[in-house]
Amino acid sequence: MKTFAELGFPGRLIAVEGLDGSGKSTQIYLLKRWLELQNLKVYFSEWNSSDIVKAATSKGKKRELLTPTTFSLIHATDFADRYERHLVPLLRAGYLVLCDRYIFTAFARDVVRGCPPEWVRGIYNFAALPDLTFFFKADLEVSLQRILDGRPQLKYFEAGMDLRLSTDPYESFRIFQGRMLEQYLAMSTEFNFLVLDANQLVEAQQNMVRELVGRRLDLGKFRQAERLPARPSKETPKRQKTVVQEVAE
Amino acid sequence: MKRTARNRIVVPYRSDRTFYGHGIPRVDLQQLAGKLIVVEGADGSGRSTQIARLVEWLEGCGHATVQVGLKRSTLVSEELDKAQTGNILSRTTLSLFYATDFADQLENIILPALKAGFIVLADRYIYTLMARDMVRGMDEAWLKNLYGVALEPDTVFYLKVPPEELVQRNFAKNMSLDYWESGMDIGLSRDMFDSFLQYQHAMEKTFKYLQTIYGFTIVDGMRSADAISAELQKKIEAVLVGK
Repeated sequence: MKTFAELGFPGRLIAVEGLDGSGKSTQIYLLKRWLELQNLKVYFSEWNSSDIVKAATSKGKKRELLTPTTFSLIHATDFADRYERHLVPLLRAGYLVLCDRYIFTAFARDVVRGCPPEWVRGIYNFAALPDLTFFFKADLEVSLQRILDGRPQLKYFEAGMDLRLSTDPYESFRIFQGRMLEQYLAMSTEFNFLVLDANQLVEAQQNMVRELVGRRLDLGKFRQAERLPARPSKETPKRQKTVVQEVAE
Repeated sequence: MKRTARNRIVVPYRSDRTFYGHGIPRVDLQQLAGKLIVVEGADGSGRSTQIARLVEWLEGCGHATVQVGLKRSTLVSEELDKAQTGNILSRTTLSLFYATDFADQLENIILPALKAGFIVLADRYIYTLMARDMVRGMDEAWLKNLYGVALEPDTVFYLKVPPEELVQRNFAKNMSLDYWESGMDIGLSRDMFDSFLQYQHAMEKTFKYLQTIYGFTIVDGMRSADAISAELQKKIEAVLVGK
């Protein structure tokens, strides 16, 4: 498997991975804002965002129809849809694509569910590797607390209830997340994860993220082309100002 | 047919089973007492007719049957239909969507039915799915890994009918050619008739290739329905008694 850079794509893909509650979504959001404010071509993609496959996935989850195999396959379908319709064209067009979770989530999750690792990896081998992968490594207890504090109602598959680890959703979630963490750590070296200490403060982590991105990528290449404005307007700088204020807050 | 009905009912011989690849986690193959019989072939090759006849015959012989086919899963069949109507999914996505549909039926219908000792009749199996994708340029090794979840059937028939005859049969039945069965998504030709012939020739060639790997029985579909049934029955009888 090769990265997008190795495959000659003009765009670059940055992925964040980590357990639920590791703070990765906050970090990638702040990274996105930073890149956007530099007027770069940025696209942000969430894990479950395809409309067509979404219906089937949510039906399967709601009615608890999914087995480890079909769970894996339906998520692969969803990923392929986003990959072929959004990620690849944008990367061809020279965008910085940010992914909140990428194939490594599937590698960890499906293997914890009992799917053979080679089978899962084989299915995803149509996808190129990210150019940068950040792994937010938090203590298991810290990420568990973040989730369990904020949202006490755990969903069936999210808690790994289908694995029959425990009849108690909270206990099941703990065991499931612990196994996910083991899988992530086992992949870390193989896939060149940039491991960040997610127990630190948000700002400290973001500092590292921005520094690494700035150092590894030639950001100047991704600047939006200057275009003639459709009509003279003073709205654009005004809007940006509000966003800056928002981030500063 | 009446003759067999009066005879003693054959208890199917229990054969060794394997998955093509990694298979489905936590399945005990020893428990699968039933038989899996697959009928492959293009639209218009006589698949449905032959399967209906096999059901009649098998039930007459005292066997319980279950039928499965492509795009019939509870999980994704509806969505798959929708996606196909709009032709909005790209090839890897569509391929994985079909694989999901297959795996859902495998786990929820085929395996439980085999465990309960049923004879499962599959109106097409992974070979059609693989052939369609291969004709569309998908990687063979990738497909083999993907469909490594599949159980090896007890016997597979491929009803072979030349594309020129398929055209006639499709027109006789529907007065039209199906968009996907004509391979219109590939852009072989703007002319649907030409596209259908080219696509079906490519499918036939791919099946011929797959036959060398999976060793299914190629059945001449140009004969009478009775003659074909007789051939299928003979082969299935052999499977039931363990050859």
